[in-house]
Amino acid sequence: MLVWLSLHAEPQLETLTPAHYLAFFGDRFHYSILWDTLLLGAKATLVCLVFGYPIAWICVRASARWQSVLVFLVVLPILTSVVVRTFAWIVILGRQGIVNQAALALGLVDEPVRLLFTEAGVVMVLAQVQMPLMVLPILAVLSRADPNLADASKALGAGEWRTFWRVTLPLSLPGVIAGSILTYAACVTAFVTQTLIGGARLIYMPLHIYSQAVGANNWPFAAAISVVFMLAVLVVVYALERAGRASRSYVHA
Amino acid sequence: MSTSTNRRTFLAAGAAFGAAALLPARGWSQGSTLVAATFPGTWNEAHRQILAPAFRKRTNATVTQSIILAHDQVSRLAAAKGGQPPFDVAIFDSPQVLDAVKQGLIVQYPAAKSPHFKELLPQFQDKWGPVISMQVIGIGYNPRKIKTPPRSWQELYDPKYKGHVGLTALNSQLGIAFLAELNRINGGTETNFEPAFKALKALLPNVGAIGANLGAYATLWQQEQIDIAPYNFNFVQTLKGRGVPVELSIPDTGPVGWNTSLHLVANAAAPELAVQYIDTHLDPAVQAEMLKPPFDVIPTNSKVKLQGAITQSIAKSHADLGRIRGFDWEKLNPQRGALIDRFNREIRI
Repeated sequence: MLVWLSLHAEPQLETLTPAHYLAFFGDRFHYSILWDTLLLGAKATLVCLVFGYPIAWICVRASARWQSVLVFLVVLPILTSVVVRTFAWIVILGRQGIVNQAALALGLVDEPVRLLFTEAGVVMVLAQVQMPLMVLPILAVLSRADPNLADASKALGAGEWRTFWRVTLPLSLPGVIAGSILTYAACVTAFVTQTLIGGARLIYMPLHIYSQAVGANNWPFAAAISVVFMLAVLVVVYALERAGRASRSYVHA
Repeated sequence: MSTSTNRRTFLAAGAAFGAAALLPARGWSQGSTLVAATFPGTWNEAHRQILAPAFRKRTNATVTQSIILAHDQVSRLAAAKGGQPPFDVAIFDSPQVLDAVKQGLIVQYPAAKSPHFKELLPQFQDKWGPVISMQVIGIGYNPRKIKTPPRSWQELYDPKYKGHVGLTALNSQLGIAFLAELNRINGGTETNFEPAFKALKALLPNVGAIGANLGAYATLWQQEQIDIAPYNFNFVQTLKGRGVPVELSIPDTGPVGWNTSLHLVANAAAPELAVQYIDTHLDPAVQAEMLKPPFDVIPTNSKVKLQGAITQSIAKSHADLGRIRGFDWEKLNPQRGALIDRFNREIRI
């Protein structure tokens, strides 16, 4: 349906044409938005991984009692709506927000730093909002990993770090890949967070599709860029999936 | 004698009770629940608090008000064309009326069935649906930071406001009206928007934030992220009512605005109720109630005397309402897509 609509010149579906696809790739404005969006997803996923992995690691190692508390804290954000969480971040990052007020009070900065409406802000908020999607798969894989393997590594004379890099990390790779796929897909399509924190000047694909469809009433073009966006995300997810398969064979080998 | 009266009263009361109990059930089956569109912010609150109870009192029917922006309403009605529309009463700003008429999404308003229609000031008696209010734009500012009210749009360019000027994306009526006014004062015409984009480019270094939509825009004011920006009279009144430091100043170039109107949707599920609902909005008692703060909805019924915040800056008399400058949407509408596209390109970081 989407593909069919995207191949027509007008919403009434009268003339068949590939013009919308040509327009998309013929104009730097459009394809740079696609590139920015894919890159944004990569950055947010990376930040999520850097912070999420240690959280999952700590959860696994904590005592049973603490483990349930920690897992609850990780899941807690999912229980509130994305809109609410994002608005909370507006309050935190704003000119009068907690971050800026604290920095001003400590004398770190002379005047409020711009955090809202910057890509750094969007990456930060996306990473927090989508964190559970990264932590939970890693947590699942880590807790299933046989602790004897790590003990064996240590018994054979490897230090903590060496054990981590050579044993624990490879074992947890399938979880990392699964978490990355989920986080990535959620980040690139997070319309609410992208528009509320990014504002109108940082244009990403979801906002672009929305404004073409609803603002400019150009449904076929919106359909065309949706198809392009979907394919691009599928390519990334497929690449991650392949990496995941490779890592699984590594684990079983 | 007395027993018979008692029995009669009892029966009557019982019948009334039974009827009352039956009414909602019958209502549902006959579609006497009306679905009406409303705008976010001021409108949604005024409609929920004033219009819905008045409508219930008048017709004994209930109304579900769903918050949808004007161009979203056009899109949804167009998508549902031929079938049952998602709502019975549409609320449009001037430009959407033209779009909706062109696409056959609304029908002519049956004025004969609407007793209050004739009481409207003549310019508001539109055959496609009565104008229920006007929306006026001016310069919004934070009175805590800016002591003297801005007198001209030129003040947005003042270097001392660097990073504190706000704008809103062109998906809102406010955004497009501001761009059109910027164009006009810089010598542009409805067919030549070059002056507006030149002026926009010059303004961008001062701009601290551009709200992606009106909700995000209101948050910018609440968080004092922006101190001076184009804004809409009614939104300012609502925010002020919530204790947000914001005031509106009408520049020397005069107030500009557009009409807001209610319409009967084509193929509406409950057309009779829809007309009753719209007529309730024209009732002088309802309009007088909406004129009170914090709503300050500009009335269109000739029987409602202007008062309150409106008379301080926008219009002292009914004649002044006619002097609020509008735009030629007939010419602007076809360019809307191109303007949005150009605007997004210009502002993108």
